Amino acid sequence: MSTPNIQLADPVRAEDLDRILDETGRNSAAVIAVLQGIQARYRYLPEAALRYVCDHSEITPAAIVGVSTFYTQFRHTPAGRHTVSVCVGTACHVKGASGILAALRRHLKLADGADTDADRRFTLREVNCLGCCTLAPVVQVDSVIYGYATPETVGNILQDFLNRGGGQDSRGASSDPSPGPSVGDIRVGMGSCCVASGASEIEAALHDRVSALRLPVRIQRVGCLGLCYEEPVIEVAAHGRPSRLYTRVKPEDIPAILTAHFPPPSRWTRLRHAAGHWVEQLYTDAAWTGAHCAGMDARDPQIAPYLDPQVPIATEGCGQLDPLSLSDYCGAHGFEGFQAALRLRPEDVVRQIADSGLRGRGGGGYPTGRKWGEVAREVNDVKYVVCNGDEGDPGAFMDRMLLESFPYRIIEGMLIAGYAVGATQGVLYIRAEYPLAIRRVSAALDACRAAGWLGPHILGSDFSFELTIMTGAGAFVCGEETALIASIEGKRGMPRMRPPYPSQCGLHGRPTLVNNTETFALISWILRHGPAAFAAIGSARSRGTKVFALAGKVRRGGLIEVPMGMTIRRVIDDIGGGIADGRRLKAVQIGGPSGGCIPERLADTPIDYEALVEAGAMMGSGGLVALDDADCMVEIARFFLAFTQHESCGKCTFCRIGTTRMLDILERLCGGTGKPSDLDELERLASVVKRGSLCGLGKSAPNPVLTTLRYFREEYEAHAGGVCPAGQCKALISYQITDDCIGCTRCAQQCPVGAIPPTPYERHAINPETCVRCDGCRTACPAGAVVVMSGNRIVKHGYAKH
Amino acid sequence: MVTLNIDRRPVDVPAGTTLLVAARRLGIAIPTLCFRDGLEHVTSCMLCVVEDVRTGCLHPACSTPVQDGMDIATASGTVLEARRTALELLLGDHLGDCEGPCARACAAGMNIPAMLRAIRDGDLREAIRVVKRHIALPAALGRICPAPCEKACRRGTHDAPVAICRLKRFVADADLASPDPYLPERLESSGFRVAVVGAGPAGLSAACALARDGHACTVFEKGDRPGGGLRAPELSDTLPSAVLNAEIAQIARLGMTFETGVEIGVTCSLHDLKQRFDAIILAWGASASSLLDPLGLESGPHGITANWRTHRTGDPVIFACGNAVVPGRLAVRAVAQGQAAALAVGQMLRGEAVVGTRHRYNHRLSAALTPDELAAFMTGTAPGPRTEPADHATGGYSTDEAPGEAARCLHCDCRKPEACQLRRYADDYGVNPRGWKPAHRRPVEIVRHGNTVYEPGKCIACGICVRIANAAREPLGLTFIGRGFTVRIGVPFHESLEKGLSQVAAACVEACPTGALAHDR
Repeated sequence: MSTPNIQLADPVRAEDLDRILDETGRNSAAVIAVLQGIQARYRYLPEAALRYVCDHSEITPAAIVGVSTFYTQFRHTPAGRHTVSVCVGTACHVKGASGILAALRRHLKLADGADTDADRRFTLREVNCLGCCTLAPVVQVDSVIYGYATPETVGNILQDFLNRGGGQDSRGASSDPSPGPSVGDIRVGMGSCCVASGASEIEAALHDRVSALRLPVRIQRVGCLGLCYEEPVIEVAAHGRPSRLYTRVKPEDIPAILTAHFPPPSRWTRLRHAAGHWVEQLYTDAAWTGAHCAGMDARDPQIAPYLDPQVPIATEGCGQLDPLSLSDYCGAHGFEGFQAALRLRPEDVVRQIADSGLRGRGGGGYPTGRKWGEVAREVNDVKYVVCNGDEGDPGAFMDRMLLESFPYRIIEGMLIAGYAVGATQGVLYIRAEYPLAIRRVSAALDACRAAGWLGPHILGSDFSFELTIMTGAGAFVCGEETALIASIEGKRGMPRMRPPYPSQCGLHGRPTLVNNTETFALISWILRHGPAAFAAIGSARSRGTKVFALAGKVRRGGLIEVPMGMTIRRVIDDIGGGIADGRRLKAVQIGGPSGGCIPERLADTPIDYEALVEAGAMMGSGGLVALDDADCMVEIARFFLAFTQHESCGKCTFCRIGTTRMLDILERLCGGTGKPSDLDELERLASVVKRGSLCGLGKSAPNPVLTTLRYFREEYEAHAGGVCPAGQCKALISYQITDDCIGCTRCAQQCPVGAIPPTPYERHAINPETCVRCDGCRTACPAGAVVVMSGNRIVKHGYAKH
Repeated sequence: MVTLNIDRRPVDVPAGTTLLVAARRLGIAIPTLCFRDGLEHVTSCMLCVVEDVRTGCLHPACSTPVQDGMDIATASGTVLEARRTALELLLGDHLGDCEGPCARACAAGMNIPAMLRAIRDGDLREAIRVVKRHIALPAALGRICPAPCEKACRRGTHDAPVAICRLKRFVADADLASPDPYLPERLESSGFRVAVVGAGPAGLSAACALARDGHACTVFEKGDRPGGGLRAPELSDTLPSAVLNAEIAQIARLGMTFETGVEIGVTCSLHDLKQRFDAIILAWGASASSLLDPLGLESGPHGITANWRTHRTGDPVIFACGNAVVPGRLAVRAVAQGQAAALAVGQMLRGEAVVGTRHRYNHRLSAALTPDELAAFMTGTAPGPRTEPADHATGGYSTDEAPGEAARCLHCDCRKPEACQLRRYADDYGVNPRGWKPAHRRPVEIVRHGNTVYEPGKCIACGICVRIANAAREPLGLTFIGRGFTVRIGVPFHESLEKGLSQVAAACVEACPTGALAHDR
């Protein structure tokens, strides 16, 4: 199939660049926005364009080169027409992202070192993290997200993308409700994961069917319900009757669901509809068993354990509110917290937050009220409030959900904060990897301005407040507050020494309050219900609730909001439904790359800032990844360290070089060239990197290594001896076929690299030189005859057997 | 004003002062690499860490403001270990040799690249000065030494090693033939008297060093003239008597006394020597050691028992070196040991700790050079093959020939071995050069423009040069490219170094704490 002769790159035109510069401004702080504009236009950064910018703005060559090479979003070489991004976050990694990458490289026939195919149609890259962890492994092509990818289906994914010819979520806000009274509402969850699971198709099918039947039913988009493991989910609420939830909905289920809740208005329409439906069923195989799709409510045993223990505060109203509907939000007590704040003096607002016991939800756990007080006390006519939406932890997607589903709540939290500390300007810093969140927050800001919630003299008071969005450009380190501030100022995202703290000297040298998205999402509730109510939830040292992204090997993964102090075991077993596929819990990774692995025997540790630190981990931003006995703890440590090492800003010696040398050791251990002395060296280096690094990234990067060394030392020792007990590390394992082989040749057919010659009716054999250890043969074998060996013993049995 | 304790001493400073500056007030110098007075701190190298005694935390002193009641330790065990680790991490990544591999292969440690540059530039006075700093008998050795230096020469992997030995001979011969042969400076007379027993290469070298050090030296030789093993009949063709005589005469002009025909143990005893002299160096070659018994000195299977580093025997004022300790055939080794023994004697006489030669930290580029790296080194050196002297009869280079051969040197030694702060602190903190080596090193790059040379492999990313260029408003300047471990410093848009540092090249070279930015030689 021939492809049209695609030009390598469009020629750079001055008019395009002038247009971009007019939009972004020409001062030095605009450099990141300028670069994003150029890349959006040309799909990379042509040098000619960069030089032009330097000649026509305040941006210097040193700045433009320094900034454009710091952030991973920017390319300096032309890209293919489409970008294929494979998520390599924690959940996707444990579910086999590396196999997906390898399969895509093979499918696209990429040469070594190349990232674009010969036709220049697709550019392949890794991305950290897309925040759709419950659909792991995830692949994104341009803006279309595909979940549950497998090495066998990568070709289908690319073909499906080409067939679509358009984006996935191309509609704007909810369509207008039908005129006149409605008989009920149907709510469709439309977070990123929902959309990736097919929620857009469900929404379209609903619209089609509802208009065909002329039903006066309002179809409402709502934010994330948190039931990610059951996506797509819809909630049907006929007036006067209890609402029912439908899970794993497919478009063909829609007619029956509608009929069950909304009988068509006229008898004639009902008959015609029933006949049509009967005819449909004659000619199609649309037999709806309904077993998996029976309507249920929150008490249903399938989802009650998931929802019951949750206490929605940041996620209050989840599943009920159209994210972009201001009237929905105000109808559910929206902005009442802000109004309550305006009736108090600013210092009393600060005191309320302090009394609530709220601590920063980004991971540091610094008392929020104390931070607000520090900023409030500064005397300066310009102060800033910054929302840290740079959630970069692989495996964490709480902030994405909050920004996509409750943008007004975040804005309200920032308004309250601005009033309390004396700021009139704020910035929402959102990762580039969250385009839906950026679109939604942007639309929400417009709606707030139009309704008077933002701007001068809000509600006729003396308080004026304005907010802007800044898009990140791909740097995990920018989640660190001083690096984030540097990024907003148009610099490389390098952390600075504290003190001075941002409270005294932050953005543009002014007092700046930086808080995490989730922290802001809790503020309104505290002002409405009072600090005592918040403090009554949770544990003594850690008050209130926390949103977690539960992912990994659990049966039920998704976003949950639970009181602090709940034990890890309760979260995994009760809410998460325990470990899937009959495997055992081995450890829980808490806090992402800054956190640590808590072993199963300590699973009764309460989720509380101090308790986790004592166990060697850290609360982090809320990622909770469950690991089973098929996961290798040394490989997990390597995975996290590879992440932080790659994200190091490179400024300080201990982090820049220390994490690299630690990674060298871990790669030797996983690669089969480790030795026993490596363990002590690793530990020694880990502790000096922890003590000597400049910022939180370096100081916490050794945590996964230190906790796994502490709790799983025997696995490290095995690796030093050339054995991987979990059967994961490719260099230490080999695949073999046992006597149980029935000669069916299925393995040979499945093998992507031809390592198994087909020998019908005879025992097959795997060529160890060619084998890439993709595990395909082991899962395909119906007789369970393929086993994984490491160091002369079987570490993984045949798939059918276990 | 803020009051705090540093190393248990109180100091008062204005609020906002950093710990680094506060320590300076007390005369405590904290090491730094990335900090430069006049530029804002960046907190990069982390060498300046100090310990907060109360919390156990490490703080970078250059960037940490003082706080009331702080209790800081600048040299605790934790601090020293952290600094050593920081240095080892930086050096694990460092691409370059402090000294040329040739100099390290030379037993006497002669600064061969410096000699070669002097010959290339026609400065023979400088050349002989460099040579005689470590080698007392260059005319002799230049004829008989098997030249281990040439086997280590990196030029050898391209075509053939530089003819170091013959070039040294050229320098020595030219000096001896000149109207005013070079005489090194001597220190003021110390008042001490030292006896050297044996006038072979070890003894002559020791005597030279002692005389330069200001000590009165008497050399006892049992033969009728000095020379020792250098007078061996089998050497007479390659090392003519006349040459050796001229060289020894020049040594004698340093002011030492020769007593020939005196055999210790026969003419007089070691015991007598001990009465007359403040120290004795035994350099009498391989021979019977029955002479030692009366003094209770030990001897092993090879010779006299002496400390291998200080050359001291069991008797605190008697030192031994050369074949007397371990028989060998390398004259250069004897020369090296003679000088080392003299150094240790000097330490003993001045009442200092007797530790022998202090070897500075030396970094080595691991693994052989790849063809691309070799090409980078070859730029700016003479491309041709090794030249042999036209005069086969005498076998020495002429004044026309020598500079051409010397220009073949790749100058793979560092351009800033004395100024480099990284090396200085590696010395101070006893760094292990093999501390944190990667499995595969990055390729060596050399960027040259005009007189300025930039070697990214020696850069520690401190950013001083970037900041200087920025402060001077250079239109291009320098910038950080990339992030994390692979970050490097370069000129924007791949422009030349000359364009990038149009005004501040010299300032950057001077301020660069390593050999990364240097002037060419």
